[in-house]
Amino acid sequence: MNTKNIEHCERNKLERFLNKIQLPNSFKAIGVGLVALSFIALTVIKFIDDEALWVRPFLKHAMLIGLLVISLSKEKIEDELIEVLRSKSYALAFIIGVLYTLFQPLANYIVDFILGKQDTPTEIGYVQVLLFMLLIQVGFFELLKRNR
Amino acid sequence: MENTIKVERAILNLTQDELAQKIGVSRQTINSIEANRYVPSTVLALKLSELFGKPVNDFFKLSDND
Repeated sequence: MNTKNIEHCERNKLERFLNKIQLPNSFKAIGVGLVALSFIALTVIKFIDDEALWVRPFLKHAMLIGLLVISLSKEKIEDELIEVLRSKSYALAFIIGVLYTLFQPLANYIVDFILGKQDTPTEIGYVQVLLFMLLIQVGFFELLKRNR
Repeated sequence: MENTIKVERAILNLTQDELAQKIGVSRQTINSIEANRYVPSTVLALKLSELFGKPVNDFFKLSDND
C-alpha cells in the first residue's frame, strides 16, 4: 500500500466533503471586511432614532455570513494540524454554545432580580446563538493556532 | 510519544521550514511535532520516513505513559 492509498484510507468521505466546501484563503479578508462593516453599521444605527425595521436583522445576518465565510476559509498552508485545530475549535464552540443557550436566560433573570426589574425571562434568538458560536469558533481557532 | 525528528533533520542539514516544504506542511507543524505537542498521522510519519530513509520506528518511540 503506497502513501496515496493510506491517505485515502485515513480520510473518510465526510472529511473529503468538508475539504470541498472550504473556501480559498482570500475569502478570509472578505469575511473580516463584512463583519467589520456590519459591526460599524450596527453601532451607527444605535444612534439613529427612526431606522427601517429591516436594517438591524439585515446587518445581523450580514455579520453572520461574514463570520461563516471566515470560519470556512482555508489557511495559507492547510495541513493536518490545522484540520485538527479546526475540529477542536468547532467542538468547543458547540459545547460553549449549548451552555450559553442554557444559562444565558438564567443569568439575565438573576441580573434582573438583583436590579429589581420584574421582566419575564426573554428568549434567546437564533441569530444571537449562531453569532456567539461562530465568534467562539473563530476566536478559539486563532488562539489554538497561536499556541500550536 | 517521543521523537528524534530534530536529530534527523540536523543530519540532513535541513531547517524546519525546508523540511516543512518537503513534506507539504507548515513550519509550525514541524515545530509542534519536534516539541511533542502533536503526534502526526500515519501519512505524515511515512512521508518523514521516506525523506529520512529510515523506518518510522527509528525516529518515533512510545514513551512510558503511552
